[in-house]
Amino acid sequence: MFIIGERINGMFKDIAQGIREEDPTAIHYWAKKQEEGGARYLDINTGPAAKDQVKVMQWLVEKTQEASDLPLALDSTNYDAIEAGLELCKRPAMINSVPAEWPKMERVFTMAAKHNSAVIGLAMNEQGIPKDADTRVALAMELVAAADSYGIPMEDLYIDPLVLPCNVGQDHGPEVMNTLRQVKMLADPSPRTVVGLSNISQGTKSRELINRTFATMGIANGLDAAVADACDRELIEAIATARVIMNLDIYCDSYVDVYIKQQK
Amino acid sequence: MGLTGLEIFKQLPKTNTGDCGFPTCLAFAMALAAGKTSLDKCPHVSEEAKEALGAAAAPPIKLVKVGTGDHAVEMGDETELFRHDKRFYHPTALAVLIEDTEDVAARVAAFDELEFDRVGLHFVTDMVALQCTSGDGAKFKAAAEAVAAGTQKPFVLICEDVAAMETAATAVADKKPLLYAATNDNYEAMTELAKKLECPLAVKGNGLADLADLVEKITKLGYKELVLDSGNRETSQVLADLTQIRRSAVRKRFRPFGYPAMAFTTKDDPMEEVVQAGVYLSKYAGMIVLKASKKEEILPLVSWRQNLFTDPQKPIQVEAKAVAVGDVTPDSPVYITTNFSLTYYIVEGEVEGSKVPAWIVPVNTDGISVLTAWAAGKLTGDSINKALKENDMESKVNHKTLVLPGYVAVLSGSTEEETGWKVIVGPREAAGIGKFAKDNFGK
Repeated sequence: MFIIGERINGMFKDIAQGIREEDPTAIHYWAKKQEEGGARYLDINTGPAAKDQVKVMQWLVEKTQEASDLPLALDSTNYDAIEAGLELCKRPAMINSVPAEWPKMERVFTMAAKHNSAVIGLAMNEQGIPKDADTRVALAMELVAAADSYGIPMEDLYIDPLVLPCNVGQDHGPEVMNTLRQVKMLADPSPRTVVGLSNISQGTKSRELINRTFATMGIANGLDAAVADACDRELIEAIATARVIMNLDIYCDSYVDVYIKQQK
Repeated sequence: MGLTGLEIFKQLPKTNTGDCGFPTCLAFAMALAAGKTSLDKCPHVSEEAKEALGAAAAPPIKLVKVGTGDHAVEMGDETELFRHDKRFYHPTALAVLIEDTEDVAARVAAFDELEFDRVGLHFVTDMVALQCTSGDGAKFKAAAEAVAAGTQKPFVLICEDVAAMETAATAVADKKPLLYAATNDNYEAMTELAKKLECPLAVKGNGLADLADLVEKITKLGYKELVLDSGNRETSQVLADLTQIRRSAVRKRFRPFGYPAMAFTTKDDPMEEVVQAGVYLSKYAGMIVLKASKKEEILPLVSWRQNLFTDPQKPIQVEAKAVAVGDVTPDSPVYITTNFSLTYYIVEGEVEGSKVPAWIVPVNTDGISVLTAWAAGKLTGDSINKALKENDMESKVNHKTLVLPGYVAVLSGSTEEETGWKVIVGPREAAGIGKFAKDNFGK
């Protein structure tokens, strides 16, 4: 599993301020810091406050790429902003995200095919987040079939089973694990899987502990990626360890350092 | 692995009539993948789709058998690209080329002697490849009969002229030889012949794309006992072809390539030929036709084949038999180790390097290492005693002293008790044997 660093997001005060004052200091700082921490992608989110989503997305993409060569995950529900961002990406990017709804899938998969980018597909539709694994898997299947019809390789489709905070949506936990396992059977090669990791601990105590425990359980069930805090050293250590235990990486004494290095 | 939802969905009519009891074709595909319903619930699915779905559930590479009885050769039925992922199942068949213009009986007699006994294992060559060089059906037939009479082992008949092939193959059809080969020019008649005689058929294409087309034409004629030859002969191209055939069959479930593949060596220099065959053996060839026929040429190939087709999950064992290293005398020391091949060969190398001739007694621990065997209760005073007795060590040496691996020093007491031999605890690592031998047994 790899990490999509979540920190360049207009929801954070320093990023919001940077956007307002057109000062890239915080963006440069977090781009570098997340890269050093072990992120493989950097998530870019303009935040809800930005008035001109397209312009802000373009500015964030440019400024982030000044500090880091990592590929970007463009995080927005505004597809014009994502498309504008894709034009500027130096490396094939990731689109975060599209639900299992027409015509959103049409729009997103068309631009993904054009820009050779990966896509995060959410296992939800107009009716909201499903309760059980079966419905999530059925929606994942719709994403798989749609992506396939647009010629998106399965390796570039990341299914997000949607994680809810474990203090209020506790019964979703096992359903998410079940979904992760079943998604791997939908196609061959199988689609990949991703979660918004920090959601699991929203509003709880000891968030880091919950995050990294979920991450290791996710890896055991086939989780490939997570939008998460790349600067949480203990999370990275837990991921590297889970990967060794699942025989995804060959063991060596310095496996944590090797894991961080191989992300670039 | 079963079919995935996407693979099934692509074969469905996508009409979403709901006649199957599911709201959409996609939902029906998912239910099929999960085994919750059956394909016949859909009244609109095409015959092609039914066949494609049925075939996709079959193993990725078909098992094809050449010959009859105990010596029959099975090829195909492989599932892996790399042996460390699971294992390779059916060792590459090695076929020695004989031409019908040669003294066939003499060549076959020499072929039948190509058997080897090494490190407790028995190696053989599997097949004769008889080539119709004369172009004469009668001569080819006589040669085929000579092969059938001369050896129990199966054979390949190499001839693209259907008439000559029919003459020879009909005479020896009960031996179920592989018929080589169906080509673009002769495939209809050759397929008819193979069908009639119930013999496996080799398909020779002009490159991979042509091969796939030809296989599809032949399977449409209703014959599926096939072996593939891409038609290329340059090592690098054959390596690419064999890889592509295996990969398409296993990863992409590409049905035309779901059969074992074969290769021919072409190099004139015997050294180069063996290296070329080694490449094909390593990379997925189900059968190789060799010009090489001498013992010194075949032995490295059969050894490598034995090595490659072992099960990586199972430890490799050496025979639990006492081995004399160097010019032993009744005074020579006796080293105890286990019959795990890695352990044994490390000890043997070090004992040899110590320049002190000695006996090594590998205890039968089912091929596991010293510490693992000790932990599993397989290396004990009792099992060491058994090994000494079975190898009759008391008659081989005039002393009763043995050397125990340093890591199992804890066994000294029970070993002395059970065996009545005096125990010297050796070094923990075999690398220390040199110094140890000099200190204890050097003159």
